[in-house]
Amino acid sequence: MAEVRALLDILFKGCVLLIAFLALVPVLHLTLAAIVNGGPVIASAGLKFFTEVPPPPGNRTYGILTSLIGTIELALLSTLVGVPISFMAAVLVVEFPHSRLGRIVRLLSRTLLELPTILIGMFVFTIIVVPLGSPSILAASIALALVMLPYVTTYIETALSSVPRTYREAGLALGMTKARVAFTIVVPIAVRGVVTGILVGLAKAMGETAPLLFTLGRARTSLNVDPLGPGDAIPLLIYDYAQAPYENLREVAWGATLVLITLFLLVYVLARLTIRGVRV
Amino acid sequence: MGGSYALLVEGLKVWYGRRQVLRGISFKLPPSSILAVMGPSGSGKSTLLRAINRLLDYVPDARVEGRVEVFGLDVYRENPYRVRRLVGMVFQTPNPFPHMSIYDNVAVGPRLHGLAKSRDELDRIVEWALKAAMLWDEVKDRLHEPPTKLSGGQQQRLSLARALALKPSILLLDEPTANIDPTNARRLEESIRRVAVEDGVTVVMVTHTPQQALRISDYVAFIYEGKLVEFGRTREVALNPSHKLTAMYFRGEL
Repeated sequence: MAEVRALLDILFKGCVLLIAFLALVPVLHLTLAAIVNGGPVIASAGLKFFTEVPPPPGNRTYGILTSLIGTIELALLSTLVGVPISFMAAVLVVEFPHSRLGRIVRLLSRTLLELPTILIGMFVFTIIVVPLGSPSILAASIALALVMLPYVTTYIETALSSVPRTYREAGLALGMTKARVAFTIVVPIAVRGVVTGILVGLAKAMGETAPLLFTLGRARTSLNVDPLGPGDAIPLLIYDYAQAPYENLREVAWGATLVLITLFLLVYVLARLTIRGVRV
Repeated sequence: MGGSYALLVEGLKVWYGRRQVLRGISFKLPPSSILAVMGPSGSGKSTLLRAINRLLDYVPDARVEGRVEVFGLDVYRENPYRVRRLVGMVFQTPNPFPHMSIYDNVAVGPRLHGLAKSRDELDRIVEWALKAAMLWDEVKDRLHEPPTKLSGGQQQRLSLARALALKPSILLLDEPTANIDPTNARRLEESIRRVAVEDGVTVVMVTHTPQQALRISDYVAFIYEGKLVEFGRTREVALNPSHKLTAMYFRGEL
């Protein structure tokens, strides 16, 4: 009987491992494909891959300067717009859950999470791109901010709710207001979780494509950093070049994929590192 | 009315939603005395404490009826922040703020209410509070370290020091020794006794053990299912309980 149980145990563990591995296959495959196909492209272009604008079709040079700068600028701008809103929304939802505003914000945040990102792009197109007359980095940043908003809010919410109630009571018992407790007790205790949420938002903003389609424009062959002018982004470049009929453009897309995955991984590792040191 | 009492509770009723937790509690407590509140779990002891400093304001479906006076101050008509300035509280679990240093944990209250005019004065308050909580000797050389390095018992005494730093008129303690070791528990009891005698602080302490009540309290209140079944001087109640539930409790049968 004991042997049967031990056997079942091994069988079960094996199944769990197998399924876990299956779940990882796409990630591994993608990373591997990006390294195999993109690695040689970057290697042959060298530093120029990062300092030159994308090549004309059929040419044998590579570069993603405009998209790389664009992605970084978009990530920073959208974080600048999205994080403060997410932060205040999370504080409202966690610390004032029964207030009317708290309930409304939670509902909005949940709804936004379910909204297809292409619709967010169209929404920003109608309210910002059309009135301004042209796509812009600013419009795209706002679209990305809307996409990351519910994610960052949820992360920060989780971090804040994980702070034990007793610290809140201790602050209130000293005569602090609820807002003071929220900002001087709860947020500092949860600071690492809050930072993780921000990094997750950053990663999200770097990887999104759909919200950029109608909002960013494609300033690909000349660099523009003015937020009111059009820009480019790595995901958008991959989207365009991966289906281009020119081999060199498809190679640029592979190289860009590797760069994007690396950026993603960097932010992800950073987020993991902050989680590891969580206090309490 | 009731001006000569440190704490006056009259007809106090509390509901959580539809469930009534306190069913009309009334008692008067003279200044610088220690009251031990006893009763089985869920009888409403913690709720009573939270009604006194109005922490129940933050329980969304809690409703309070009746009257609470702290040194003649009508708690439910007064600004709640002023009430909590006068009524300190220590909780069941040690809860020093983990992101502040030991020093800042004690200084947070005085800073909040502007009690110190200078850095020196703040230093003196912090030292006094830590001494009153009998923690000074153990932490005086590491005031700027985080409290998370202290033992659970030390953390609880730090929580006490944090409450004392506001020089409260009344101190509420919610089973403060439930989660700490006996040595630390003794020290905590001793400092509570001392602040009552030397600094005239009135103490309301929820306790699970009749022995603790006998050791440190002047008065005991026995709460059963939201009702105050017994209130009186500790010795009298222990020797001659007027209610059979209290007698059973003191014999450890409840």
